[in-house]
Amino acid sequence: MILEWVNDICEGVQAFVTGLRTTGHFLVENLRNEGGATAITRQYPQQPAEVVGDRQRGHLFNKAEICIVCFACDKACPVDCFKMEMERNEDNKPHCSRFDIDLSKCIYCGLCVRACPTDSLSMTQAFELDPKIDGARFLFNRNSEQLDVHFDEDDMQRLHRLSAMPRAELSAEDRDWLAARVDSRGQHLIGMYGLGFYAPEEKARVDEEREVKKKAKDAAAAKAKAAAAAAAAAAAAAAAAAVTPAVTPAVIVAPSQPLKDDGGGA
Amino acid sequence: MSDLGYAVDALAQWLAGSGKPGWFAVLLAAITVWVLPMLLVIFPIASLGQIFERKIAAAIQRRVGPNSVGLDGPLRFAFRMLLCFLPRTTQDKAFATFTNLPGIRQFLRIAKSLGLGQLAADGVKMLGKEDLIPAGADGIVFRLAPYLALTGAFLPFCVVPFAHHLVMLEVPVGALYAIAASGVTVMALKMAGWGSGSKWSMLGGMRAVAQLVSYEIPVGLAVAGVVLWCGTMDLHAIVGQQYHSGVFSLLGWNLLQSPFLLLLACVLFFGGLAECQRTPFDMAEAESELVSGFNIEYSGLRWGMFAMAEYTEMLLVGSLVATLFLGGYQSPIGEQWLVSLPVAIETLLHITIFILKVLASFLLMMWIRWTLPRFRVDQVMRLCWLTLVPLCLLSLLGIAVTMLAGGGAEMGEAYGRLPARLQPQLGTTGHLLGWAIPLAIGIVVVRIARKRHGQVHPALQRLTGGGA
Repeated sequence: MILEWVNDICEGVQAFVTGLRTTGHFLVENLRNEGGATAITRQYPQQPAEVVGDRQRGHLFNKAEICIVCFACDKACPVDCFKMEMERNEDNKPHCSRFDIDLSKCIYCGLCVRACPTDSLSMTQAFELDPKIDGARFLFNRNSEQLDVHFDEDDMQRLHRLSAMPRAELSAEDRDWLAARVDSRGQHLIGMYGLGFYAPEEKARVDEEREVKKKAKDAAAAKAKAAAAAAAAAAAAAAAAAVTPAVTPAVIVAPSQPLKDDGGGA
Repeated sequence: MSDLGYAVDALAQWLAGSGKPGWFAVLLAAITVWVLPMLLVIFPIASLGQIFERKIAAAIQRRVGPNSVGLDGPLRFAFRMLLCFLPRTTQDKAFATFTNLPGIRQFLRIAKSLGLGQLAADGVKMLGKEDLIPAGADGIVFRLAPYLALTGAFLPFCVVPFAHHLVMLEVPVGALYAIAASGVTVMALKMAGWGSGSKWSMLGGMRAVAQLVSYEIPVGLAVAGVVLWCGTMDLHAIVGQQYHSGVFSLLGWNLLQSPFLLLLACVLFFGGLAECQRTPFDMAEAESELVSGFNIEYSGLRWGMFAMAEYTEMLLVGSLVATLFLGGYQSPIGEQWLVSLPVAIETLLHITIFILKVLASFLLMMWIRWTLPRFRVDQVMRLCWLTLVPLCLLSLLGIAVTMLAGGGAEMGEAYGRLPARLQPQLGTTGHLLGWAIPLAIGIVVVRIARKRHGQVHPALQRLTGGGA
């Protein structure tokens, strides 16, 4: 019994020392700056962040060209972070004239992306919001190319004022000023005061593009329709052909004529 | 009476003017001379311990640890406060001038990389927290507990000798007093557990009491072993007993006197670890079971007191181990010349050496904390009653036998202002035999035990390269 007790103590001491040796190894390694702390850990604010994965849910991005302003994203959004306006061009076609995403509300759930019927909304991998870049009041008006737009206090005041005005009343100078600072194409506008709208020339360009696209799409649709009609007719004929031999022998003596005809038509 | 005692008397006399100083003058003098310096030394060390621990933990877990909060902010704030009567630009200019002084920038950078500013940040955060008292709490008990915990952690320091001329009390029963005073903590934990009116706290308090009361016994027995060897309970006298006039003055340390004393040192260390409620033994605040144990309902400064008490107790365990076994404040080499230095230098060196010794056990405690998982309740109790207590008794017996076989006591060397005392005289041969015989017996017993019952766990076998 005493020997067992001694053995227990020995085992305890052995396990204890083994554990201490293992952690002590890490301790010394790290204190000498060779260990995992310096090799693995990235000092995030100082060192650039790495994108975590392909499926990371970052900032939302809307391609205004293909957005149809169907409000599906708005309905899906649990926090109401969208603000969008629709305009119709001469052909009475709707297009997106304003699309704001308030990133201070967005919870990055991705429901809007799933709801979007045209895949114009997507989630990027960007996740950083830097108040030093985006203005003192966390103004996140920027598109993916405008990351270093800077707003000082006066700019903020002006932006505030302009955003409160109806867009039609903005002077040309104000429009230019806004176009230089916020995304004028209405793409990927994120912000509390999001001011997404089309400048007139941009609007013309987008409309033109859309028209071309639409024509192409219409043409494609017509072609597809014709092809489908032809295919349907062919299929019907084929079905008839497939049905006839199976049925005819049983009911009547089969004449060879229709079969031949069908075969030629197919 | 120690030098500090004379200082207190002198100050009290000066405060009272002529005649015998009243109790108030004595109290004031004692607070000025003893209590304030002690708090000023121990509080910073205990709070630095937290940063130290976080760095050690980070290193062991292969992380970086606190490395962002520097001292720039607190320093700037201090400048603002000190120069509050000047315009702000002048304050900033003064601060800029100060940071441009040689070395300051480097210091600030090092402080930042060590995260020293975290202390200030945590302190301010703790001060600013809401002071919550649960509806079901027993108000007085709940409020009293943190103070009591801190008291229990601080009182034993009265008898701990920090330097040859820096002892607060030279009580003839110092060792007993230290153990008894630290026993107040048991009461505090129980009060915190009961007073919170929460079942988690209650369970934590119960566990704390069970554990602490049990571990008082091996700790007490370990101290008893030293007392038996030295023939005194006065901690300063015990330090004086360990004086060795040679170059290698560490040969006089109790740790090296006998294998049994070495064993007792280990027991005292682990018993102390259990009394501090630190991991492997943190049954009382087992986060995964009891959320936070006895202090779950505490917030802000009251919680801070418990945290401070924990670190102060760690310091206390370190000081006790150092005082009883590692020669106290004595340097390991050349203590004889150190004592002959001017008093101020000698005291500074002594304090430095003492703090280094305490920090060594501090480091070991942290190392253990981040190595071992928490024990189960029954394992904690078994370790105490079935391992540490029998080991203590065995060691006591061994020490007694060694002393008897050594053939009585002789007068030792006088050390500084401490008079010579009787101490066991074994001589060189006696010392060697005192080491060799128990070690030989121990090794034989361990060999037999291992051969008969030893079964190394496969995982351990791989790590230790065969082992056993």
